[in-house]
Amino acid sequence: MFLALRELKYSKGRYGLIGLIMVLVAWLTFIVSGLANGLSSDNASILKNMDADYFVLQSDSEHKLTRSALPVEKLDEVRQLNGDIQAEPLSQTMLSVYQTGSNKKIDIAVFAIEPEGTLMPSITEGQNMAANDEIVVDSSLKEKGIKLGDTIGDKDLGIEWKVVGFTKNQKFSHTPVVFMDIQYFSDLMQASMGKKVASYNSIVIKSDSVNKDTLQKNLTDAEVITKQEAVQGIPGFKEEQGSLTMMIAFLIVIAAFIQAVFFYVITLQKISQFGVLKAIGAKTSYLATNLVGQVLLLAIVAVAISIGLTFGVSAILPESMPFELGTDILSQYSGLLILVSIIGALLSLNRIAKVDAIEAIGRVE
Amino acid sequence: MKEKLVLENVNKIYGDGETAVTALQKVSLTVKEGEFVAVVGPSGSGKSTFLSIAGALLSPTSGRILINQKDVTHLTSREMSDVRVKNLGFIFQASNLVPYLKVLDQLLLVSKLAGKVGKEAEQKAKELLDQVGLLHRMNYYPEKLSGGERQRVAIARAFMNDPGVILADEPTASLDSKRGRAVVELMASEVKQRGKAAVMVTHDERVLDLCDRIVTIKDGMLYEKKADIVNKDKKPEASVLG
Ligand SMILES: Nc1ncnc2c1ncn2[C@@H]1O[C@H](COP(=O)(O)OP(=O)(O)OP(=O)(O)O)[C@@H](O)[C@H]1O
Ligand SMILES: [Mg+2]
Repeated sequence: MFLALRELKYSKGRYGLIGLIMVLVAWLTFIVSGLANGLSSDNASILKNMDADYFVLQSDSEHKLTRSALPVEKLDEVRQLNGDIQAEPLSQTMLSVYQTGSNKKIDIAVFAIEPEGTLMPSITEGQNMAANDEIVVDSSLKEKGIKLGDTIGDKDLGIEWKVVGFTKNQKFSHTPVVFMDIQYFSDLMQASMGKKVASYNSIVIKSDSVNKDTLQKNLTDAEVITKQEAVQGIPGFKEEQGSLTMMIAFLIVIAAFIQAVFFYVITLQKISQFGVLKAIGAKTSYLATNLVGQVLLLAIVAVAISIGLTFGVSAILPESMPFELGTDILSQYSGLLILVSIIGALLSLNRIAKVDAIEAIGRVE
Repeated sequence: MKEKLVLENVNKIYGDGETAVTALQKVSLTVKEGEFVAVVGPSGSGKSTFLSIAGALLSPTSGRILINQKDVTHLTSREMSDVRVKNLGFIFQASNLVPYLKVLDQLLLVSKLAGKVGKEAEQKAKELLDQVGLLHRMNYYPEKLSGGERQRVAIARAFMNDPGVILADEPTASLDSKRGRAVVELMASEVKQRGKAAVMVTHDERVLDLCDRIVTIKDGMLYEKKADIVNKDKKPEASVLG
């Protein structure tokens, strides 16, 4: 590192410039990853936070919760498979409702569950629903001006529900979730929408001993999917995450290329200098260590600065912006950025190894 | 007097078959402690090849090379690096200083490469810089030095690890004649004072009188005319250094 540090100090300008580019690329990487993470929660937090292993859907519903309708008898069928299985029904629908006394529409995702079951999330404010017309809603509805005790409902159907509790991080398809009693929900569907046969969207299973294949084999006319598959099945989820992941991948490839090319050009410029250094007795390994030292130092400092900047940005972003920085994701991408910079340096290392000390003397070779 | 550098029947052939070029033919030379040898010859005669082989930078096709009484003829490139860093001091034509190292660091780097660090190396470096009259330029980058000053730093660097043999490749090529002469005078006095063996390839006839022996290479063969031995009593003057 004797050479590495002195050269960085001497050529502050050029290394500062490449450092700045690295900071910008890393910063953008972190922001996009924060956005991807935030959008993923915004899209699927209800499923991700659900204490569940598998979902039973109607066959051919293509992993889509919204498409599935299971006869209510299926629940007993599942429960009788194995004593270890914890199964609960789930019904789900998307609605647009009015807050009482207001003309603005609010989109909600209704999740009808058993109020005392494990699917009921913990309540952060207020209490659990006790009566049919009571609901627990996601706290993001507060931003729409909804408070405890407010009522929301559908004027045409003539239904009104009272908000008795709030819960946190429960969103489905970018829409705040409203929890209600599944018994009441089924009655409602039959009464107001004229549904003839009672049905559930899905049966949610938690089990330590039974796996997906066994479930699938023992159930007819049903499709068993894992929680992860259910998340992927949310409309638009795959496409949204896919495009953001691709952006991140491109950014990392760009970072690798910029650095590889930069260090390669600098190495080419220094070929005769390396010849002299080798002639006076520097080994390739010594020169390589110094180069890798420079690359590592630059990458680590750049990544550290970008992490700081990313947290700065996240602090000034509005609350409603779906932006979430997970430390594990942050450290993963940091590690990846540092790793690709070292891979990029291999190109230069190869060139340094090829330099012959003899180039320092006369015209020989 | 000890023999510091010995070349015995060295041949060097570049390439093979039709395109083979014989660069050195049966070259033998012995340089003793305190001797300063100049190598002259026309362009393409094999001087650089000779210096590269003597400097453990290139392996000969046949023959034997002893540096500090150690046979270095058949070493791996790693071992050759070690020989160079411990036993040889190089002075090159030009631009041989590392541009981003200050003068003192130029010298410290060499001792670092030999695995020596600490106060002792720094002490030694300062002593050498004092001797070449550049202690006051200790914290300068090479770009801030004149050509002569740079060559003097290179000389100090060559002596840093106390090598047995000093090899110089046209050290005066980039200097005007007055400074060139001062640089060679400095080399000569250091070689004498420290009991080194030195070989210098040069085109500069005006500095030949400072050397103890002059050998000529022509078409890959080495000739030494005993009559060419010049008087050694001439004292170099350090005061005219550029
Ligand atoms: N790598 C090489 N491959 C093939 N031939 C070479 C190589 N290096 C040198 N030669 C040939 O060997 C001969 C001696 O070359 P060398 O460089 O030693 O000459 P020189 O005396 O140093 O010349 P100059 O004074 O011009 O520097 C020349 O004929 C040259 O063409
Ligand atoms: Mg030459």
